[in-house]
Amino acid sequence: MNIAFNTRFPRRSAAGVGAPALAGLAVVLALQGCAATPPVPTASLDAATQAISSAERSDAARHAAGELSEARARLAAANTEVTAKRMTRAQQLADEARADAELASARAGVAKARAANEELRRSTGTMIEEMQRNAGDPQ
Amino acid sequence: MNISLTNIKGAAPLAVAAAVSALVAGCASAPRVAPAAEAVRVRLTALQSDPQLAGKADAAIQDAEAAVRTAEMPQGDKVLTAHRVYLADRKVESARALAEMRVAEEQQTQLANQRERARLDARTREADAAAERARMAQAEGEVQRRAADAARDEAGAARLQTDQLEQQASRMRQQISDLEAEVTERGIVVTVGDMLFTSGKANLQQGTTGNLDKLVTFLGEHPQRMVRIEGHTDSAGTAESNHLLSLRRAESVKSYLVGNGVGVDRVTTAGLGEDVPVADNSTSIGRQMNRRVEVIINHEPSSASN
Repeated sequence: MNIAFNTRFPRRSAAGVGAPALAGLAVVLALQGCAATPPVPTASLDAATQAISSAERSDAARHAAGELSEARARLAAANTEVTAKRMTRAQQLADEARADAELASARAGVAKARAANEELRRSTGTMIEEMQRNAGDPQ
Repeated sequence: MNISLTNIKGAAPLAVAAAVSALVAGCASAPRVAPAAEAVRVRLTALQSDPQLAGKADAAIQDAEAAVRTAEMPQGDKVLTAHRVYLADRKVESARALAEMRVAEEQQTQLANQRERARLDARTREADAAAERARMAQAEGEVQRRAADAARDEAGAARLQTDQLEQQASRMRQQISDLEAEVTERGIVVTVGDMLFTSGKANLQQGTTGNLDKLVTFLGEHPQRMVRIEGHTDSAGTAESNHLLSLRRAESVKSYLVGNGVGVDRVTTAGLGEDVPVADNSTSIGRQMNRRVEVIINHEPSSASN
């Protein structure tokens, strides 16, 4: 397991860290063995949590319930992965949860804007109708 | 496939190896795009080429574009590929939703404008209707006011007429009182006493015509009234002479009236002698009362109904 982790880890960080440093890190991790805990993807988890809160404030529970519950499920799965110390997968799930939550917010926004439009149409229609009825009345 | 090729073209191993390596390289480079990302790309392209939505969420669409490109990059990790495709899919959907929201918000502005126009329209009509009602109420008020004015005028006229009639009646009463006349069924009777006449004569004495002058004035004010003058005597002397004397005295009064402007055709005379006494002829007071001329002014034909 330790070895498997070490083979995956450099691929994720390859963009930012130089090859010698990676080699050094791999060596360090190999020496530390199972005692080494990979970093928890805190930023992704926080971002997902915030995105879900934001979606909840946007009434997503009402207008985009499917997307919102998908986001919650993925965030829960991400936390499970953290507990299992599968941090790469945890980060992926957290990022997916965030994308779900952002989609929930956007769809809630569309739904609300359309509902507002419908209400405007309805009230304008009522007003015009009333006006015509009043105009038809003798008084 | 590789194996079958080797079997067929065993004669040229190098050429085959080159062909195989080229083929393998070709095969490796051909699916540059991860197959799972294709569907997402299709939906992103549809969004980008939608004339209604394309320009509405530029940043989100660029974000989606980047995510789709990342998802399209081929690599061996299936979980990572699925993850990237998932992210790309969510971002494309989010971009579409944002663009749709912008469109809806723009519509909202239009709808709000329409509603405002309708509201103004309604208020204008309401104001017009109110003005019309006010105008009609005013017109109605005008009609009522005119009716009231007319009624008041009529009442005023009636009161004026009543006043005039009352004044006339009052004046008439005063004149009758001045004439010392008596209102009877025959008419207004003015009795001219015998002191106007010299005993046995028919001539009127000078300076004693005050009562007759009032009569002249009265007849001048009431030109439609006819006058009958009756002469009466006491029982002294013969009936025939008394009859004659009474007629002459009546004629005398007539002459005075006509001489003072009363139309001759309004006046008739009669001599009744001693036939219609008003008192006892056995006393001198009674006889004096019987010697008289009565001027009877007939009631106005119209005054009978008043």
